[in-house]
Amino acid sequence: MADEHNAEWYENTFKRMIYWVGGILIAGTAITYVIDKWGVAEKYGLLTAVIFGLTVATIKAATVIVIFMHLKWDWKFKTISLTLISTVLFFIGMMWLTVGSEVKTYESNDGKPGNKDNTWKHGEHAVGINKPGDVEKPEE
Amino acid sequence: METTTQPDVAHEDHHESLDDHGHDNQHFLTKYVFSCDHKVIGIQYGVTSLIFLLVGFLLIMAMRWQIAKPGEPLPIMGAVLEHVYAHNNAGEPVFKGGVMSSDAYNQFGAMHGTIMVFLAVVPLGFAAFGNYVVPLQIGAPDMCFPRINMASYWSFFLGCVVMTVSFFIPGGAAQAGWTSYSPLASVIPTDGQSFWLIGMILLITSSLLGAVNFIATIIQLRAPGMTWFRMPFFVWAQFITAFLLLLAFPPLEAAGIMQLMDRVADTSFFLPSGVFDTGSTPMAVSGGGSPLLWQHLFWFLGHPEVYVLILPAIGMVAEILCNNARRPLWGYKVMVAAVFVLGFLSFIVWAHHMYLTGMSAKVATFFQTTTMIISIPSVILLTCLFMTLWKGSIRFNPASMFALAFLPMFGIGGLTGLPLGFSFTDLHLHDSYYVIAHFHYVVAPGTIFAMFAGIYFWFPKMTGRKMNEYWGKVHFWGSLIFMNIIFFPMFLQGFAGLSRRMSDGGATYSLVQNPDITSGALSELIIRLNEYITLGAFGMLLIQVVFIVNFFHSIRNGEKVENDNPMEATTLDWQTPTPPPHGNFTKEPEVHGEPYAYSVPGAEKDYIPQTDPNRPKTA
Amino acid sequence: MEIPYNSTARPDTGLYNGKVGVWLFLASEVMLFGALFSAYVLLRVGAEPGNWSMGLMSKEVGAFNTLILIASSATVVLAWVSLKLKDWNGYRKWKIATVIFASMFLTVKWGYEWPAKFTHYDVTFVDDEAAETVFANVFGQDSYNEECREKHKEIWSARYNIDGKVWDSGSVDTKDKPLDGHIVGYYTENENGDREHHKVGKSFGVYFWSHAFAWRHDKRNDGRTTGAKRDTFREKGVVAVEIEPAHGTWDKHTEKHASVTDRRYAKADDGQATDADGHGAHTITVETSQISRVSSYEPAHSTFFAVYYTLTGLHALHVFGGILVMIYHLMPISRRIYESDPERFTNRIEIIGLFWHFVDLVWIFLFPILYLF
Ligand code: HEM
Ligand SMILES: [Cu+2]
Repeated sequence: MADEHNAEWYENTFKRMIYWVGGILIAGTAITYVIDKWGVAEKYGLLTAVIFGLTVATIKAATVIVIFMHLKWDWKFKTISLTLISTVLFFIGMMWLTVGSEVKTYESNDGKPGNKDNTWKHGEHAVGINKPGDVEKPEE
Repeated sequence: METTTQPDVAHEDHHESLDDHGHDNQHFLTKYVFSCDHKVIGIQYGVTSLIFLLVGFLLIMAMRWQIAKPGEPLPIMGAVLEHVYAHNNAGEPVFKGGVMSSDAYNQFGAMHGTIMVFLAVVPLGFAAFGNYVVPLQIGAPDMCFPRINMASYWSFFLGCVVMTVSFFIPGGAAQAGWTSYSPLASVIPTDGQSFWLIGMILLITSSLLGAVNFIATIIQLRAPGMTWFRMPFFVWAQFITAFLLLLAFPPLEAAGIMQLMDRVADTSFFLPSGVFDTGSTPMAVSGGGSPLLWQHLFWFLGHPEVYVLILPAIGMVAEILCNNARRPLWGYKVMVAAVFVLGFLSFIVWAHHMYLTGMSAKVATFFQTTTMIISIPSVILLTCLFMTLWKGSIRFNPASMFALAFLPMFGIGGLTGLPLGFSFTDLHLHDSYYVIAHFHYVVAPGTIFAMFAGIYFWFPKMTGRKMNEYWGKVHFWGSLIFMNIIFFPMFLQGFAGLSRRMSDGGATYSLVQNPDITSGALSELIIRLNEYITLGAFGMLLIQVVFIVNFFHSIRNGEKVENDNPMEATTLDWQTPTPPPHGNFTKEPEVHGEPYAYSVPGAEKDYIPQTDPNRPKTA
Repeated sequence: MEIPYNSTARPDTGLYNGKVGVWLFLASEVMLFGALFSAYVLLRVGAEPGNWSMGLMSKEVGAFNTLILIASSATVVLAWVSLKLKDWNGYRKWKIATVIFASMFLTVKWGYEWPAKFTHYDVTFVDDEAAETVFANVFGQDSYNEECREKHKEIWSARYNIDGKVWDSGSVDTKDKPLDGHIVGYYTENENGDREHHKVGKSFGVYFWSHAFAWRHDKRNDGRTTGAKRDTFREKGVVAVEIEPAHGTWDKHTEKHASVTDRRYAKADDGQATDADGHGAHTITVETSQISRVSSYEPAHSTFFAVYYTLTGLHALHVFGGILVMIYHLMPISRRIYESDPERFTNRIEIIGLFWHFVDLVWIFLFPILYLF
């Protein structure tokens, strides 16, 4: 954090913020735990539970980054903050692109765990890895 | 202590700090071995990587023999290798009777790729030249974190040791190619593969430390007046390269950790359900993993990695060409923009290595598009470099000749990459010698030539002596001719359908050996080419002897340079004493102008150093 | 020569060197954990239904660890603020608190969570008949009847598929729906066919973990000579194992269904329960020949555990490294460094703090994805 803040600011303002953020984090954890125990997943489905859990986690993470890691006062730090953000966005985008369009979940499952192809399905041309000769060939 | 003064000298002795303090009477160990000085570290990197460059080359020499004369014992080395080299799991020498078995071929091949990429070219281009030259060019006294710099080198060194040792453990070195594809790499029973992974984790750690250091140095330690757009292009190239390493390597580290878990903790990250190793029962693993996941993570690093191989080379060529053509870099800002675009795009093209994994048309289209787009900045870079020569009065010395040869060679490598970027043509060319020829044109007569150019160019700064020009030129012409003898025929072989990674050079597929095969076989000519290529490789080896002798001879006996700036260069690296002392500059440099003020009209000399305050307005 | 901007900010960037360095380092860490997280997503999305274990983790323990890590994150920033206020004692106090919290975290993780998993087993069976016999025994039923099936469904679905659809679809065979518990004993056989009972009293030579520790057995290893994985049953010549079904897990979802009063000796061929004496109540014995796979909750157990150990292990190593550095910052030598150059020392504390927050941040995401769903 650049030195534009004086001792008084640290003593009063910043310390108070720290306790606030600590409170938010604890509350977030408690809420996630309670809601999960109560059974979001059973009642509203796994996806809802995931979205809820990750939203709370993201809020918690954001407070840590902004206050604890005091990025709020370090926006001079543009290159790196931007890099971080774009890395994350980028990852999400790539995941969506490569995986999102390729993964086919197993609606019709007739197989048995332990002996079925479990790689991603690429449209209709699934790569079977069930036979010895079918193992993927290394390439450049 | 150098002459630069700093306020807190008083604290020096009793507080431990992140840098070392340049006590002139350092012990030999701290001065030359565990040194924190960026120049010493650069030279350490340079020496280590040149040694591995030779090792990697010798490995391929042995393989070339086997390809050209399958099943014949290696001359001379065969007998030696039979005794010193590893035994396989069945207890037999891998080089039984001096003949390279396919196990040995696979090991040498995998290690050739690994050593060349991770132990030779990256450390040479990025770490060695980067360490030596970047702080000098930006006017810094050292790297930002000298101790981390040292840690980076020693982590690299450990990685090299692990890789080297793996040749001699039972079962021998890694065999699954430099790409270490699972499931193969997860299930190979010898320990070499685990050594490879541990070595890679060390090397990656080293690269990450180095990358952090480079970026921080360039951001923080530029001398007064060294604004972003007064930085030499080489520094820009290194800057982007460091970002590529910083962001692309961690996913491979993650993948390496997972593959290591597969091997030592029997997990199934990359093993699908029902995978077989040998026999007809599925392996006793939980399954449920994905081999494709490895490929994604590997190539997420792998593609940026090729730019890590090439960008420092382009940066060096730019410096050397400007200097020797006595022309400013044509389109400096455009080139900077181009490397930025290149750096960014290199993260979204990786799946062009995976067209054959059965990806959907949608995904293939995306990656074909990005791959075609990424060729644009590369072409811009090359064009700018060509334009720089325009109207120049080129000085021909070994450095500039290697730099000049880089241009067409890299051009061939780049253009032949386009057919590989389209999935429909890649279906035919994939995994053939065409691919080998393509990327070797980029890295061997491309990057390696740039490295040679760099060595000839900065040698006088490092040692105070010049390398012999005549023998340098001999080395150049020899290398140029033999490189093309080696790699050009591989295009033809690839078109004809010769697969890479074949320990008999494709003989089993040839018409000659299998009269029963009537179609799709290789012609006698294609098989014959193997021998010519191997001859070319031997020539290549011989001509390198010239370089090695010249190099060592010149360190002590080369012609002394008359002054600190024998190349009459503008950039700060030439404004130091020769060789630069600890702390680099005798007084903190101040920068007054752009990096390539060559042949400025109205100036009294044909170059104006960046430190020169009295420059004509136009510069 | 001194490197400039080690303790003061460079005017045009507004940053001192260490801060640039640590943020860059964190960027690469984001990529490292990002890759592992995406591996998790890919493997999970691609998993067959009934192959991804959920609901095995103790949410209480996870939440507890989250809380202490959060607390440590708050104390570490308070320590830095104290230094900014030139208050060494305050710094010491908060830093020690941080180290204590961090050590508690690791103790829970490495001292309790992991070892508890290494002694907890899943057993799957060679065929449905064998499985049904065993489960009937476990639930105290005479056969795998409707009631037994209902109980089984509840337990299994809570773990693998919350809405019960996968169970209903019948896509997973009964033989592949594991029985879980501790291995407390085993039987060997001599040439005459006489069985000898062995207790598993200790693991790694310590009595602390009084069950089998990370054993493994897989039917697919039979007759395999090359590339075989370690197989504890084969090493010990086990012909039957004595299992104590996991009450914790089973009770939680099914009002005490798991109470097994009789000690039965399950034999798939005749379904007869045999009494045996020895190791307390609530155990059942299963023939090795009926078992297709036995694995503790070690990394090799399943992709879920592979991911779990890799992610939490890497995270724990970061915690460990952080602890070491922070202890160094509490040692007398650090006091001296502080006194000679307070500003620079404060900067270092800021840097390790930034690292520590990142470690906390990773855990904030690990908690929901590994413990909750
Ligand atoms: C003049 C020197 C070189 C020669 C003669 C040479 C030759 C070869 C040949 C013939 C192969 C194919 C082996 C096979 O598929 O069976 C190969 C593979 C390879 N080479 Fe080189 N090479 C040279 C320099 C380099 C350099 C400088 C690099 C890297 C920067 C490099 C990187 C690779 C890689 C990555 C592979 C693929 C290895 C694999 O299949 O896993 N090579 N080289
Ligand atoms: Cu690529």
